Amino acid sequence: MAADLTELKAMIEAALPGAEAEVIDETGTGDHLRAEVRAPQFEGQTRINQHRMVKAAVRERFDDGTIHALTIKVLD
Amino acid sequence: MADQDLTERVQELISENPVLLFMKGTPAAPRCGFSMRTVQVLDQMGIEYGAIDVLPALQPLREVTTEISDWETFPQLYVNGELLGGADIVEEMFASGDLAKALGVEQPELPDQPEQPQSAQDLPAQSPPLKIEGSG
Repeated sequence: MAADLTELKAMIEAALPGAEAEVIDETGTGDHLRAEVRAPQFEGQTRINQHRMVKAAVRERFDDGTIHALTIKVLD
Repeated sequence: MADQDLTERVQELISENPVLLFMKGTPAAPRCGFSMRTVQVLDQMGIEYGAIDVLPALQPLREVTTEISDWETFPQLYVNGELLGGADIVEEMFASGDLAKALGVEQPELPDQPEQPQSAQDLPAQSPPLKIEGSG
């Protein structure tokens, strides 16, 4: 099943209220995705924690095998 | 659940090595592009670091790091006992100078950096404000 980019964006924005997320399919194959996220919750957090927060938001789609790789870009 | 003996061993290694890289392959022969990129960054920092090849025990180690660091992909760079990140974060922190700060070293001069401005005259934004003598 191909990843639903709109759903992933909604999952990130729901987990991090006030966040703006863009999810891009980098290879066109639906499994190597890139998320660009700006979120108020990132304030004062280390990069790794910011990435953990984004991954946690979409963990369900990793666990069910929908996505295999997600590159995260935190926007300041 | 992760193997408890292996978990303890990994935690020991992380606490014993101020800079420790879990990677696929070795620094001399990385076996994954992300691990290679991380090694390339570390090699520019002029520091000693420990490196562990995860390939012989990939799945057990993945379970261990998921448990202790909430992170399941490799490479993983630990600095002073904390997971700093994988290749993307390490490269980004290198570019921003935050990696040098985390490691407590000077940011290295890179021969292949984008060209620097030719002279101080090209840096008005970084110049101090002009002082106007005799005003006020």
